[in-house]
Amino acid sequence: MTKQLKVEFKNVYKAFEMHAKQKEKLLELFSIERRKQRKEFVAVKDVSFKVYEGESVGIVGLNGSGKSTISNMLAQVIQPTSGEITINGETNLIAISAGLNNNLTGLENIKLKCMMHGMNDEEIDRLTPDIIEFAEIGDYIKQPVKNYSSGMRSRLGFAISVHTDPDVLVIDEALSVGDSTFAQRCLEKMDEFKKRGKTIFFISHSAAQVKSFCEKAMWIHYGEMKMIGSSDEVQKEYQKFISYFNKLSAKEKKEYKAKMLSSQISTVDNEIVKRPEVVKKRNIRHLLASGLMLSIVAFLGALLGLGY
Amino acid sequence: MFKSVWQVIKEQLDHRDLIFRMASFDIKGMYQKHYLGSLWQFINPAIQVSIYWFVFGLGIRGGQPVETSAGPIPFFLWMLMGLIPWFFISPSIIQGSNSVYQKVNMVSKMNFPVSLLPTIKIIGNSLQFFILMILLMIVLFIYGFTPTIYFVQIVYYIFAMFAFLFAFTLLSSTISTLVRDYQMLLQSMVRMILYLSPILWDPNAGRVPEWVANILQLNPIFYIIEGFRDSFLGREWFFEDPLYFFYFWMFTLTILVIGSRAHLQFRKNFVDYL
Repeated sequence: MTKQLKVEFKNVYKAFEMHAKQKEKLLELFSIERRKQRKEFVAVKDVSFKVYEGESVGIVGLNGSGKSTISNMLAQVIQPTSGEITINGETNLIAISAGLNNNLTGLENIKLKCMMHGMNDEEIDRLTPDIIEFAEIGDYIKQPVKNYSSGMRSRLGFAISVHTDPDVLVIDEALSVGDSTFAQRCLEKMDEFKKRGKTIFFISHSAAQVKSFCEKAMWIHYGEMKMIGSSDEVQKEYQKFISYFNKLSAKEKKEYKAKMLSSQISTVDNEIVKRPEVVKKRNIRHLLASGLMLSIVAFLGALLGLGY
Repeated sequence: MFKSVWQVIKEQLDHRDLIFRMASFDIKGMYQKHYLGSLWQFINPAIQVSIYWFVFGLGIRGGQPVETSAGPIPFFLWMLMGLIPWFFISPSIIQGSNSVYQKVNMVSKMNFPVSLLPTIKIIGNSLQFFILMILLMIVLFIYGFTPTIYFVQIVYYIFAMFAFLFAFTLLSSTISTLVRDYQMLLQSMVRMILYLSPILWDPNAGRVPEWVANILQLNPIFYIIEGFRDSFLGREWFFEDPLYFFYFWMFTLTILVIGSRAHLQFRKNFVDYL
C-alpha cells in the first residue's frame, strides 16, 4: 500500500527584501520589469522534502533559523519567493498568537472561527461542547477573551484548531504556553490525529516532546536544511551541536552567529528578472483596457463639468 | 478583463451567509464595552444632526427653508435626506478601506477570501442605515409629506450606493494595504467630501457660479445624495438625465474593474506588505 503524498517542498526559497526606505518598496510595485537591485535576507534557502499522510515531523533549530517562516509557508500565509509547494488538503496553523478576537467572548470566538472555516450552524453546535471541554475553560467561556490568561488563550486556540479537522496540522510552539497536563492531552489528541492518517508538523524547543511524538524530524539551520531523518538521529546531532555551541566562549558565539547571519544576506546586483511574456502581454492588455475605460469616464466627466 | 470582476463578485455571492454572520459579530464586538451598547449607533448620528442643524440651519441660513424645484422644504428635512446616506457612506468608505490591512493577518491562515472583508464592513454599517431611513420616513410623514410614485426609485439609488461602495472599497482596501499613507489621505478626503457634496448646502441654489456646481457634480456621492432627494421629493426620474446616469455607472464600473484586478494581483502577497 502506498501512502498518499501530503506535502511537498521543492527547492523552496523565501527571501525578505531589506528595504532601506519605504519608497523603494513602492517603486518596486510600479516598475514594469522586476529589478533586483537590493539587499535580501534569505530566510529559507533551497529546502526540499516530502511528507506523507500519517507522518508527524518535528522541526528543530535555533531562534531565527527560519522555522516559523516554513510553518507560515505550510499554512499558506506567505508565498515562497521561488520553488514549489504542493499541499494536498487543508492546513491549519496553530501559533501562540492564535487569531482570537479579544473583545468577543470565548463562545463567540468559537463560533466565529468555525464559521470562517466554512462550517454551518449544525456542525458548530455539535462541536462547541467538545471544544469547551477540551480547552478546560469552564464558566470563563462566557467572558471576553481579553480577560483570559495566556494559557487559557492558547488552550482555546488549540482546541478550536484541532476540532476544525484539518488534513495538515502545523503547531508552532503553541504547546509551550500550556502547562504539562494540557500538553499531555494535546499530545494524546495528536496521536489520535496521526492514527487517522493526518499529517502533523510540530515545531518545539522541547527535545523530549519532539522525541516522544515525532518519528521524523528536520533540523533547520540558518535557513538551510541541515538534516532530515528519523527523530532520534536528528535530535542526537542537534544536541551535539548545541553542546558544542554552548562550550564556545561568548566572543566565539557572537562571531559564529554574525557569520551565519551575513551568509543569509545577499545583494543581487542590478539583475533584471524578466517577467514571462504571457504575463507581460496580459498586463499590457489590462492597462490598455483600464486606460480606455478611464478615458470614457474622463470624457463623460468633461461633458458634465462643462454643463451639457 | 471582466473575468476578475466576475470572480470577485462570485466570491461574495458564494459566501453571502458568512458575510451577514461576520457583520453581525462585528457589530456585537464593537459596542460590547459600552453601557448603552448599540444605542450608540443612534446617539452618535443624533448629536451630529443637531449640531449641523444648529450651525447650518439656524446659524448660517437663519431658519430659511430650502427652495427646490418641488417647492420650499424645511432645512432640517432637506439636510436629513442627505445626512442619513452620508452617515452610511462615510464610515463604510473609511472602515472598508482599512479592513484588509486590519484583518488580513487573521484570515490569511484560513480558507477565506480576503475580498469579503470590505463587504463585511459595508453590510455591518447598513443595519444602522436602514433603521435611520425608516425613522426618516416617519419624520417625513409627521411633517405631512406623502410619498409619490417617484419614491420607488429609492431602490435604484440604494443599489447604486451599494455598488459604488463595493467597487470603491475593493480598490481602496488594496491601495491602503500597500501604501499606508493612502488611508490618512482618504480620511481627510472623506471629511472634505462632506462639504463638497449637497449635504449641508445646496450648490445649485445660485450662491456659487454655475460652473462650480457643474464640477462638484462629478463627485459620484453627489449623484447618490441628489438621487435620494429626487426620490423623496418626487422631482425627477433617474433616466431623465442620461449623461449623468452613464457617467456614474461608467465611473463605478471602471473602479470595479481596476479594483478587482489589483485585488487579485496582490492578495497573495498582502501579508508581505504588512
